[in-house]
Amino acid sequence: MDDSTKLFLQRFMRRIPSYMLRTTLEKWGRLTAAQQKSIDFTQSKWALTEALLTICEENKLAMKHLIELEMIYIMDNPNQGMWYVLQLLDPEDDAHSVELMQFKEQFKSHLKELVRHVSIKIKNHTDQAVWIRIAWGDAFSRPNHLKPTFGVHYLQTPYVFVTNLTSKQKPLLSQAVVLSTRYQAIKDANLSGRKLTAIRDLLMRKYQQVFPTKYPSPLAENNQTISNPHIVKEQAEPAANRLHMACKAFGGGALPQLQSAVYKLKTKFRDDPNKTMTEREEPFRCVVKFESTNLLESLRHCASSGIASTPVTPLLSCIPLKGRNYFVITDNDSGPSSQTHQPQN
Amino acid sequence: MSLLKPFSKLPGLNSANILLVESEEQFQQSLADALVEETTFTVNVRLAKSLPLPVENEESRPRIDLVVFIINLTSELSLQSAEASLKCLDPGYFLGKVCFMVTNARSAAAPVERLDVARKLAASLHCPLLFAEDQTPDGVTNATERLLTILKVAAGLVPMATALYLSNLTRSTVPPDIEQPSFN
Amino acid sequence: MAATPSLSGPSDLDQSSQSDQSASSRSNNRSLRVAEKERKKNEAEDPFVLALKYFSDVEAGTPVQGNDDVERNMVLVEKVAYSKGLTPEAVSIMLEFSMSLCMGTTLCARVLKCLIPATVVPQEAVVRAVVWLGVRKIPVGTQILFIKWVLTVFDMIDAKDQLRAVYGFIFNFVTDENLCPYICHLLYLLTRKESVRVFRVRKLLELQSRLGRQPFLLSLLSLYKVFCPELVTLSIPSRVKSGFRNHNSPWKSALIAVQKRNGAQVASSISLASAIKTKPRKRKHCHLVLPVLSSVVSKRAQTEPSSSRKVVPLVQVHSFAQLLENMHRIELPAQMGSLLGSSLALQYLDCVQDESALLRLNFWLGYALHEEFLFCGDGGASQDSEDALQFLNTLLSTQHFLQEGFSCSEAFLFKFLNVWDGSLLRPQILGLLSNIPVVPSSQIGQLLFEPLMQLYFTSSLFFKCGLMECLNNMLLKWLTWHSVYALEDDLDISLNSHTSINMTLSGFKDSVMELVDFVGRLASLGLRLEGCHSLLLSFILDFYETVCDTFLKYGLPLVVMPPPGVFYPALLATDPVSVDRLAYIMYRYKVNLTSAKSQKQLTEQAFHISRQTFREFNHYAAVMVNCLWNSKMFQPDMGIQLGEELLLKSNVPQYGTSFDLIHHPAFMSYAVDFHQRCWPGRKDMDLNSLKCSKLWSWYQEYLFSQGYDGLKQFVQSNICRQLTAGDSLPT
Repeated sequence: MDDSTKLFLQRFMRRIPSYMLRTTLEKWGRLTAAQQKSIDFTQSKWALTEALLTICEENKLAMKHLIELEMIYIMDNPNQGMWYVLQLLDPEDDAHSVELMQFKEQFKSHLKELVRHVSIKIKNHTDQAVWIRIAWGDAFSRPNHLKPTFGVHYLQTPYVFVTNLTSKQKPLLSQAVVLSTRYQAIKDANLSGRKLTAIRDLLMRKYQQVFPTKYPSPLAENNQTISNPHIVKEQAEPAANRLHMACKAFGGGALPQLQSAVYKLKTKFRDDPNKTMTEREEPFRCVVKFESTNLLESLRHCASSGIASTPVTPLLSCIPLKGRNYFVITDNDSGPSSQTHQPQN
Repeated sequence: MSLLKPFSKLPGLNSANILLVESEEQFQQSLADALVEETTFTVNVRLAKSLPLPVENEESRPRIDLVVFIINLTSELSLQSAEASLKCLDPGYFLGKVCFMVTNARSAAAPVERLDVARKLAASLHCPLLFAEDQTPDGVTNATERLLTILKVAAGLVPMATALYLSNLTRSTVPPDIEQPSFN
Repeated sequence: MAATPSLSGPSDLDQSSQSDQSASSRSNNRSLRVAEKERKKNEAEDPFVLALKYFSDVEAGTPVQGNDDVERNMVLVEKVAYSKGLTPEAVSIMLEFSMSLCMGTTLCARVLKCLIPATVVPQEAVVRAVVWLGVRKIPVGTQILFIKWVLTVFDMIDAKDQLRAVYGFIFNFVTDENLCPYICHLLYLLTRKESVRVFRVRKLLELQSRLGRQPFLLSLLSLYKVFCPELVTLSIPSRVKSGFRNHNSPWKSALIAVQKRNGAQVASSISLASAIKTKPRKRKHCHLVLPVLSSVVSKRAQTEPSSSRKVVPLVQVHSFAQLLENMHRIELPAQMGSLLGSSLALQYLDCVQDESALLRLNFWLGYALHEEFLFCGDGGASQDSEDALQFLNTLLSTQHFLQEGFSCSEAFLFKFLNVWDGSLLRPQILGLLSNIPVVPSSQIGQLLFEPLMQLYFTSSLFFKCGLMECLNNMLLKWLTWHSVYALEDDLDISLNSHTSINMTLSGFKDSVMELVDFVGRLASLGLRLEGCHSLLLSFILDFYETVCDTFLKYGLPLVVMPPPGVFYPALLATDPVSVDRLAYIMYRYKVNLTSAKSQKQLTEQAFHISRQTFREFNHYAAVMVNCLWNSKMFQPDMGIQLGEELLLKSNVPQYGTSFDLIHHPAFMSYAVDFHQRCWPGRKDMDLNSLKCSKLWSWYQEYLFSQGYDGLKQFVQSNICRQLTAGDSLPT
């Protein structure tokens, strides 16, 4: 076992919480039952690492085995780090018939053509997801396993979720993905979040959907909840209205957890009393960022409780509709003045 | 803007009517549920987010015996909304038929200054300022009991006591600034 | 003592490695020496001993890289440390090895991380390490790690005197920006009154102006202010966020594990230990300032007897005799809050002359109460939790034990009452409230009465009763203090032995008077609002039972009569018990007033009971006699007046008699019962027939025989002459 392998294991041990170690090792299945038993999981991390190192040496385990261990851990706990979404465009005719083995081979060969030193590991997860782990190297150095990129692709969907991808590596990965999935182009989907499952649900519509035109009117639904004839809500109508509006924008059920929404404004400053600002020709640039542990729930609550005005501005409601949380807003010169705030790419 | 008036309607027999005003519409619901449990007399609860109340309910609305403003001290909006709503009350209400109920007063997130503002507001209007623990069931029960105590008097259900009389005893005062002596 | 055998393996090593570690050598037990030698032979090959020996003997400058010996020995030490903890000697050796940078800086942090003491940490080792801190070029991270370690094991350091001796030396590190927060925390634990100096205060203030109002500086400064208020003029905000973070040190979990493992071996027969054990749990709940591991101290409380030590940690004192023996060299624990749980500690606190102990406890307590109940992180959702309850109960029982309140709990209450909802922790809060010392009459209204009034009149009947009881207890305590501390000739009384509020007798009288008047107001208005509820009436009469006896029982020359709003509801109550208690109260008033009068004539003392009081009493007594005996209710000179026409309109025949002992709603049933006993067969009932002189006195006897002693005493003291004469009965 060389030093880099040792270092890798040490880093990994530092990252994984002790309580998860046992199950992860079991799933890994590279230790014998006796070895598994011999480890005292109440020890300090440092001692545990030492113990594991000796076992790995005994079993002659190499980097590629340890990578498996890391993948198992990441696949079980995908909700760490920032995940970004890439969207594939223009499928070719056979795009829908790509299956796992084919994708695997194609991806590996395409990427290896682009980069000489690269280590790729692809695993199939239970829910149809293909997990790709890439350790990058360059022309002169071997793959760096300490900073791998993870990608998740659901076959037959146009989305790829990536984390820990630098801008230098992005074109390489994009090209390999495009070629191996039989698409023609790829672009940034402008969606990011800490929870892989949440952004996946948002894109694949795995939550309660809204159909703005068909959302039931408030009367049919809310009047059933009247509990006591002695309690009367004076402003029941506006409240129901607000709730209706909020649900119209965001739906009634549980929403995927997004952490932020960013609006990059490149519009002209409009505030009539403030002449000096309004008269400026160039757009007023600023960034508006909304943050919350569950942004969509928060927005819906703001609207239904009256903190934010209703109807909900399309700028907010289009987050779930369009499945993105990064917007650049520019003046739409052609449109009427009320419609100038158009989210554009 | 229509003013809410205390004596524009006749009282109902053996019943009392309370209006809970809270901009967040959280605590008022649990209070209402507990208030209507009272059995010795009928309690009608009206819930509002802010005043003025909609004109179209004017007909069906009984005479309001007590107006309670619920203020969440961790939110500036809550205090401002209560302050704005006060203007829609007939002055007659301030003769003992208004009280303030403050939540989250002991929270680290509530600045001292806001509590002072609320206190001064209540003191200047000669209204009682009640504190409530809205997070615990016991706290809600207790807050309900206290509101009922005031409501009973305000609705004229307690012989030999009037709302003005009680409010003279309970109205808020601006307390002195007590420094923690260990730091003095 | 029993300690040595209970510590396995490593404890034997204590002795063996002692010879080479003179610096940290400790008291030796000669009797064990012989047995030791035997064992030593067997364990000469013990790899752990060899490992320690290696670290104590290793030559400075030995390379680490590629040195298998170091690695092997290091692993050995770590294994022992994580499983059993290190003996004091091992701690000394390893600490010395690490801090002296014997083998460079690489091993330094690793050694520190495994320094998990099994029992105690020798003070000398810590002092030496602190010295190394100033001498060698240790990386900043490692320096911080070391101070964190000291903070974590602070309570396990066997004595603190030498550490305190180098207080100034430690203080110098404050200027290091990286170390400052941790050094402040350490200083906070070490500070005594004599360590507070002008130049140190100046230094801290200077630092504050440079670093901003950092919580750790503020906390240390506020402690300085507690000790020497005259030196720290800075005003410290009452809402300081908790000053010292509970550093998530790498040793905590390992220490707890080691303690748990060893704890099984160490017999836990110490009452103190179990009493303090609740504390760390408590701290998780609130974000208090204090260091961890007070339970650690209590667990190892069985270490050697104190003979050789200069100071004795309070935790090691197990009996009162021991306490007396070691009175002069008691070492207070780092965490003053732990004192609350132990009666011995409280006894010490009670009789110790040094005010600093009480000051520190007060400081801690004030902070804890404030953080916990007035500055909650979660908006008070977890307030009703067991911890808060238990904490206040402990505080209450402490106050009962000391028979006085802490000044900080008083200050806390005055604040808390202003935001109290009236139900949160009600029994505890009312209990604490009844313990507060006398409040000067100039402030009592604003501090106490205003918030209580609002709460009282808006709360339920049960709150009203509870508050009545609380105020009664408060009055009782005040009166008791007075009777204990008041000096015969001197009017100055020191009400509180520790806080020494000096109050003149007239000032005290004013306060009591204010309180009684206030309760009188609450009582009469409360009765009116609650429809003269008999439960409330009963609590009110409890209070007046205290008030009527102030002169005779507590020697306070003050008699205050109840207001009419209390007197009449009691007199006209529908339950006989209330009337009986009122009669008893009136009887006691009479006894007190007569004895006051006679004493005044005898001694010509300077006290004065106003004529008004006598007049009021006479009036009440006359009303009672007229109402109950003479059937002269509604006479023009009485308190209750009704128009003649109105009474006639009511169609009540002989309205004057309607509240005498026969017709009084409370006693009617007795009259009927008596009537039936007199004439068992009679169908028509004529209660008026009981008025004839013989039956009347029999009827009274009958009532007295039912247990109405109050009435009896009242009658015997007021109507005595008339009864013996037997001629004044109405017809």
